[in-house]
Amino acid sequence: MHEMALMGDILQLIEKDARSRNMEKIEKVELIVGDLSNALPDALEMAFTIFRARGLALLSEQSELVIKKEAARAKCTVCGFEYNPDARLSICPKCSLPSGILTAGETFKVQSYEGS
Amino acid sequence: MKIDLDVEVLADNNTAASYNRDLFEKNKTLVINLMSSPGAGKTTLLEKTVARLGKEYRIGVIEGDLATEKDADRIRAFGAQAVQINTNGGCHLDARMVAKVLPEFDFDDIDLLFIENVGNLVCPSGYDLGQNHKVAILSVPEGNDKIPKYPVMFRRTEMVVLNKIDLLPYLDFDVKMAMEDLLGINPQSRLIQVSSRTGEGLDEWLSWIKQAYKQNVER
Ligand SMILES: Nc1nc2c(ncn2[C@@H]2O[C@H](COP(=O)(O)OP(=O)(O)OP(=O)(O)O)[C@@H](O)[C@H]2O)c(=O)[nH]1
Ligand SMILES: [Mg+2]
Ligand SMILES: [Zn+2]
Repeated sequence: MHEMALMGDILQLIEKDARSRNMEKIEKVELIVGDLSNALPDALEMAFTIFRARGLALLSEQSELVIKKEAARAKCTVCGFEYNPDARLSICPKCSLPSGILTAGETFKVQSYEGS
Repeated sequence: MKIDLDVEVLADNNTAASYNRDLFEKNKTLVINLMSSPGAGKTTLLEKTVARLGKEYRIGVIEGDLATEKDADRIRAFGAQAVQINTNGGCHLDARMVAKVLPEFDFDDIDLLFIENVGNLVCPSGYDLGQNHKVAILSVPEGNDKIPKYPVMFRRTEMVVLNKIDLLPYLDFDVKMAMEDLLGINPQSRLIQVSSRTGEGLDEWLSWIKQAYKQNVER
C-alpha cells in the first residue's frame, strides 16, 4: 500500500495525544495489523525507521515499533465451525456452504504507545 | 507512561466520510464509488452511463487521477459536470480529498454522483468516502487471478462489473470460475457482465443504478 503515508497518520495521531499530555518523547508504539487489512508489516517497519532516523514525531534512536499480527479467522454461521480461512474464505470447510464470516484479520489499529 | 489508545488508524478518514455521507443523505444524492485496476474501463463505463442516463438524471462525476485532467474532460464531453481530484501520485482517494471538492457541486441539482477512484486494486479499498455503494470493475484481459489475489477489494465491494466481455472469445477468462471465486470471498456480492464497447449488458448495470436511486430516495 502506501505505508509511508499510513505511518505518518499513525505518528501524527500519537504525537497529538502525547503532546496533550506534555510528553516529550515517544519510546514505543504498538500496532495491531490484520492479515486482511491490506497493510504490510514489513513496509510499516521500514517507514517507521525512516521517521525515526529523521527524529520526527517525538521519536529518537531508542524508539521502538511493535507490530502484533492478527491472523485471519472465520466462523460458519450455519454449523458454527471455526477455521483458518484460505482464499475462498467464506466457504466453510466443514459444511461447504458460503456461510463463513470473518471473526479476525481485518483490524488495523494503534493499540498503545509509551512516552515520557 | 503507557497510553492505551485503541484507535483505528483510519479514524480521521472515517470522520470525514461521515461528514460526506450526511451531506449526500440530506440531498438524497446517490453516490457510487467505482474502483478497479488501471485501464479496466471505469471512465468508458461512466461515459456510457452518462450518455444513457443523462436525460433522466442530473449526474455529477468526481475523477480521481494521479496527475491529469484527461478523464474529467472525457466525461464533460458527454455533458455531465466533472470535477478532477489530482492525488499528486497518491494511490487512492480519501474522504478528505472528496470533502474538499464537494462545494464545487450544486447538490440541489445532482441526483447521481459517481466517484472514479484512482486505478489500483489495493489502496482504495480501505478508504470509506461516504458513498452509498462501492463497486469493483474487473476486465476480461486482467485474467482470473485478480479476485483471489485482491480479496480485500472484492470483500468490501457489493458488486463486480465484469467489463470487456466482447473480448471473451479471444482470451481464456473463465466467467464461471470468477463467479465461484467471488462467492467464496464475498457471498453478498454479485457479478454482472458488460461490454462498455458494444453496449452488451449495460441495461443490467443501468437498471441496478435506477433501482438503487429509487431505494435511496424512498428511504
Ligand atoms: N474491448 C473493449 N475495450 C474497452 C472496453 N471498455 C473500455 N475499453 C478500453 O480500455 C481502455 C481503458 O479504458 P478506460 O475507460 O480509460 O479505463 P480506466 O479504468 O478509466 O483507466 P484509468 O483511469 O487509467 O485507471 C480504453 O482504450 C478503452 O477504450 C470494453 O468493454 N471492451
Ligand atoms: Mg479513467
Ligand atoms: Zn459450516
